[in-house]
Amino acid sequence: MVTFRNVIKDYSADGQTVRALNGVSLDVAPGEFVAFVGRSGCGKSTLLNLAGAMDFPTSGEVLLDGISTNSHDDGSLTKLRREKVGFVFQSFQLINTLSVVENVELPLLLAGNPDARRLAFDRLSSVELAGLEHRMPHQLSGGQMQRVAIARALVNHPKILLADEPTGNLDTTTGAVILGLLKRLASERKVATLMATHSMEAAAIADVVVELRDGSVAGIKRK
Amino acid sequence: MNGRAKLFWRLLVRPLGREPVRMGLTVLAVALGVAVVLAIDLAGTAATGSFRSSLETLTGNYNLEITATGGVPEEIVGRIATLPINLDLSPRMEDFAVVASTKQSVVLLGLDLIGESNILASKNADALPQPAAANDGMPQHFSSDDSLWAGSSLGWEKGQRISLIIGDREHTFTVRGIYNDQNQPAIVMDIAAAQRAVGRTTRVDRILLNLPERENIEARIKQISALVPPGIEIRAAGTSTEENRKMLNAFRWNLKLLSYIALIVGAFLIYNTISVSVVRRRAEIGIARALGASRTDVLLAFTGEAAVIGVVGAAIGIPLGRIMASGAVRLMGATVDALYVSSRPGPIELGAASSFTALAVGVSVAVVAAYAPAREAAQITPIEAMARGRREFLARVHSSRDLIVAIVLAAAAWAAAQVPAVGGKPLFGYFAALFAVSAGTLAIPAAISAVMKISATTLKRTGVAALLASRSLLGSLRRTSVLVGALATAIAMMTAVGIMVGSFRTTVIQWMEGEVPADFYLRPAGSPSVDRHPTISVELAEKLSMLPGVDAVDRLRAYQVSYDGVPTTVAAADLRESRRRGHSDFFSGRPSEEVLKELRTGDAVVVSEPFTYKHNLKQNDSITLRLGTSLATFRIADVYYDYGSERGFILMDRTAMKKYLPDDAPSNLAVYVKDGADRAEVRREIEQAATDYRVLIFSSADLRRQAIIIFDKTFAITYALEAVAVLVAVMGVAGALLALVIDRKRELGLLRFLGASAAQIRRMILAEAALLGLLANAAGLILGFALSLILVFVINKQSFGWTIRFHWPVAILAGAISLIFAATVLAGFYPARIAVQLNPIEVVHEE
Repeated sequence: MVTFRNVIKDYSADGQTVRALNGVSLDVAPGEFVAFVGRSGCGKSTLLNLAGAMDFPTSGEVLLDGISTNSHDDGSLTKLRREKVGFVFQSFQLINTLSVVENVELPLLLAGNPDARRLAFDRLSSVELAGLEHRMPHQLSGGQMQRVAIARALVNHPKILLADEPTGNLDTTTGAVILGLLKRLASERKVATLMATHSMEAAAIADVVVELRDGSVAGIKRK
Repeated sequence: MNGRAKLFWRLLVRPLGREPVRMGLTVLAVALGVAVVLAIDLAGTAATGSFRSSLETLTGNYNLEITATGGVPEEIVGRIATLPINLDLSPRMEDFAVVASTKQSVVLLGLDLIGESNILASKNADALPQPAAANDGMPQHFSSDDSLWAGSSLGWEKGQRISLIIGDREHTFTVRGIYNDQNQPAIVMDIAAAQRAVGRTTRVDRILLNLPERENIEARIKQISALVPPGIEIRAAGTSTEENRKMLNAFRWNLKLLSYIALIVGAFLIYNTISVSVVRRRAEIGIARALGASRTDVLLAFTGEAAVIGVVGAAIGIPLGRIMASGAVRLMGATVDALYVSSRPGPIELGAASSFTALAVGVSVAVVAAYAPAREAAQITPIEAMARGRREFLARVHSSRDLIVAIVLAAAAWAAAQVPAVGGKPLFGYFAALFAVSAGTLAIPAAISAVMKISATTLKRTGVAALLASRSLLGSLRRTSVLVGALATAIAMMTAVGIMVGSFRTTVIQWMEGEVPADFYLRPAGSPSVDRHPTISVELAEKLSMLPGVDAVDRLRAYQVSYDGVPTTVAAADLRESRRRGHSDFFSGRPSEEVLKELRTGDAVVVSEPFTYKHNLKQNDSITLRLGTSLATFRIADVYYDYGSERGFILMDRTAMKKYLPDDAPSNLAVYVKDGADRAEVRREIEQAATDYRVLIFSSADLRRQAIIIFDKTFAITYALEAVAVLVAVMGVAGALLALVIDRKRELGLLRFLGASAAQIRRMILAEAALLGLLANAAGLILGFALSLILVFVINKQSFGWTIRFHWPVAILAGAISLIFAATVLAGFYPARIAVQLNPIEVVHEE
């Protein structure tokens, strides 16, 4: 579902080039749950951004569902992202002026889906938030907000789910619940899930743990 | 720099430079506001301060003047000269001539050049031709009919032959000399020659007297009064100048207040800018407080930021205002000339006092506008300000409380509108307007909430961009309310003035339908002015009445008088029969013929509405006028609507006037064509008959058209002021949208992650701009309607005395509103571009 072929990613900072990824190659199958672990700055978030077609590799290739992201313009990448990718962030990233259901239906509205409301309601039920549809984000707990974010990420039936430190702002117990939810949903819907985390405990639920060090793959462990 | 100042500089002032566009727009808004206020102030002084000009700079110092309607009989000069008093005496003629080649109007002065030469030489050595001029081998030119001396600013040369139109005749003169006129041009002739040129050979227009300082002026006035008939007035020199200035007070005052609108709109923007600063710098505020800064320090820091904006804005606004004053004085001068009194604008003087006042106004408005958000910033506790995860300090909006205050203010506005004028000024009318604007702006948060909630479903159906736009505006309600308030205030003023002017225009057009019943009108050539009444030769009037196609020729003769210290026009017309058709023009509603019959008795007059308002008079009251050498009392038979000028008009029968002022020459003629005659042919006959005269011929349609042109010109300055206010408001919208984009970087970046395209992001920002425009237009229209009622029925009425019939200028308002809406949407393009160019990865992951 997601393929990295010798991906190199460089950034310019104050006239100097910083290499964030140094020749990463990896295949992620549909339904597979992959955790990227490593210290801050090792390239985890960069890999997720490339996998989500938010950025381009400096060299190498990234394929999403067989489609290379290299040769596409912004409009095509947006379409690709809209149809195939869902994002979950560490700080939930809900829009404070929208209600829970409005946050969840947002990707569908952006895609012009006329059935957005009904699908959003269904998705909220699947994350066990039925009844809270009309609450505002500031009225939810951290765990609830992350559930909303997960519902939003999955509402358009993506093939790929990208989660950047999804439990970083949650306590251990809530974090474990969220991880369990992610795992279950990914498995049920055969969604290739890529999760960046610095916590080995969080990585333990994954099918594949990829250790990154200084932008390179230092090790891969498969369950 | 001490510690606190350094803290202030680093935390609060230096970051201002990171947003040059937004700060630039705010500073420019203040600059425009200050510029407009200063321009109107300077232009007003220049446009109305020039009465003491040609007529007085040539006179030297005189402390008394003797005048009479229609002129002072010459023998009075002799009577006064024989008094055993040590005084200087200067009879003079004062009129206007039109340069035939350029149509320029120039003051014409007739002086006793021989009698006054020593006096003038002692007072103003380079002012006038000296007796030495007579010794240039041409003494005979001094009083010859074709001799004149010209002011240097006219650009003529000694010996040049000049054709001038005086009254309805063209004369050719020889320039005998040039004098230094200090940029106050005039033509000087010997008084006898001037009397012959203007056709007033037995009268002088004014006698100036100079009594020595040690003299008891009051006693001397009494002594002189005993010598002259009762109709002749003795008063302090320069009284007419002061009367003219007073007359213009209402006009200047109203313009001044209108000029403050742009500054008020600028104040909204300052409020918004400082509010945004407070929100953005909450962490810095917390750090500063944690490091020991007091609440007062924080308050001073943000008011100081506003003061900096005010100073920079004023520094740009002052020179800009000086430039704008040049244009403003032209527009105001046209209005003064058309409606009040002929004048030549004086120089525009930007002195230290004006500059300092402008600076003080700019800084004060900025600081006052910033006080509320600055105070709010000062209340923030350090913990609250530095708390992680708090994305925005939610400024509370008390929309319910504000709505209640708005209702109270609206009631106060209504109450204030019922109070009559104070000292001739509509003071409570201004308060009513201020209360109405305050009420409107306080009601806006509640109105926005209600409208957005009601229209939520519709907006969602329009598309995700509109939904997100409406939620964004609702989510920052205070900021949105201030923006909408600023734009709505500008739109409201534009609407109110537009309705007032539109109503006025329609009223004038309808009034003119009945007021110009004749087929043709003639007046002497030259620039028309409400206080100048050149005459047409009697022979021409008689010639025209003999034309075969002419049914009748009505004559009107007008004079400028002073009634109770206010310049007024008194006129006499042929009222042999009523030629008016249709409805009555009089307040009483009586048929015209009934009223005119009373005038023909000779002891009654009709007066204009502004006249009755200024002097608190009504039907059947008595007025006493100085006509010729007499004091004559008349009964007010009725009052009529008159929109020709604000000066006030008294009309009597011509036969009654001739008892006091027998001069038969008319100021203008109204020609009635016989039924069945060919109007075009009759016009040709009139033109043929008037070949040797310098007169202008208008059809009634021409007259109506010209009246409307003058009307539109008089309001040109008003339109200019409104345009500036709207420009300031739209600039504010652009700046505020930019701020909104920057503050919502995270959200915009997130939308890109969720699949929003660049076009959708752009549409969202433009939708916000459009929603702001729609909300502001709606609020502005409603508030503008309320303000228009105050303008039409209170401020205008109490300032000028006119009754205006309310009309909606629908087409003009619709056009203006559409233009503003388009401008508001356009203002969203740059912020939209910025939004699209944001890097989603940076803005989402920077946390």
